[in-house]
Amino acid sequence: MNFLSLLLPLLFVGVFSYALFRRVKLYDCFAEGVRGAIPLVVSLFPYLAAILILSELFSRSGLSSALSAFLSPAFRALGIPEEIAPLVLVKPFSGSGSTALLSELLASYGADSYVGRCACVCYGSSETVFYISAVYFASVKDKKLFLPVVIALVANFVGVIAGCFFCRFL
Amino acid sequence: MNAIFSAIFLLSAVLFLIFDPDGFLPALLSGGEKAATLSLSLLAVYCVWLGFFKVMEQSGVSEKLSRILAPAAGKLLRTRDKEGISLAVYNLSANLLGLPGAPTPLGVKATERFCARGERYAACMLFVLNATSLQLLPATAIALRAAAGSASPADIFLPTLLCTALTSLLGALGVRCFVRR
Repeated sequence: MNFLSLLLPLLFVGVFSYALFRRVKLYDCFAEGVRGAIPLVVSLFPYLAAILILSELFSRSGLSSALSAFLSPAFRALGIPEEIAPLVLVKPFSGSGSTALLSELLASYGADSYVGRCACVCYGSSETVFYISAVYFASVKDKKLFLPVVIALVANFVGVIAGCFFCRFL
Repeated sequence: MNAIFSAIFLLSAVLFLIFDPDGFLPALLSGGEKAATLSLSLLAVYCVWLGFFKVMEQSGVSEKLSRILAPAAGKLLRTRDKEGISLAVYNLSANLLGLPGAPTPLGVKATERFCARGERYAACMLFVLNATSLQLLPATAIALRAAAGSASPADIFLPTLLCTALTSLLGALGVRCFVRR
């Protein structure tokens, strides 16, 4: 993307030159920041592993396709094309999994089809809820995650319904 | 989260037991493998962004930025913790701009800080905003459409923006109504 490819170097040039102007020791300072990277990854790792193993089980056991077959009448009633049901179900678990599903959908239904556009809007407007919850709350001891996770899932699902509706005329 | 994990895990394991007992261990291992490779790529991303943010912090850029945005963010998150607010502000702006990988380390730090100080409302609000996607430009979806030969790959911009604004709004409302301070 043009926007992003310009933005990133500009951001670094801007901040680093300002830092030099303020007489910050860039080398030491940058290295000091990086120091925090390893403990961060170490604290995330257990939860990351649990969620990724779960998402692998979810898709490979056939549970996700069984669920999407089971839910497709309900999806159709809400105006969501049943073809994108697997995408809607996998997105909360896995970013890479849903990216793979999206490109399959685009290849088989065409990028400009209604299904393809719905899939893109759903993909772009929701996030990997379980993954984010695992990572953000990894080092928090008292994990009461049920409520925020449900709020995020419901909001994202309403977003899917709205997205399929918007795609009809936008 | 424990309930969700147990339910999905057990259901999937039972399905494996019935249909494909030999596929069970490979599925577990491939999940573990993904975790290992993903942590390495996360480590790479964190190195870049945590270094960058330290420079921002020490040069005073971050203080200026958060002084401008803090009042609004403080209201949204219902907290007065300056350090937490500035982390949250970066996390949200990195999300909006879609800087790859940048929101996560900041979000993790902010959440840690809010929870340690007992500000559960702020942590939940930040999480829900992150989990409902705030991206202004759906870069990945547009790139995939272009790759699939779309006539105008960017025409999903408007519906996606409307949709993501709606989900974030709903999420924020949900937190406001259901999460106690």
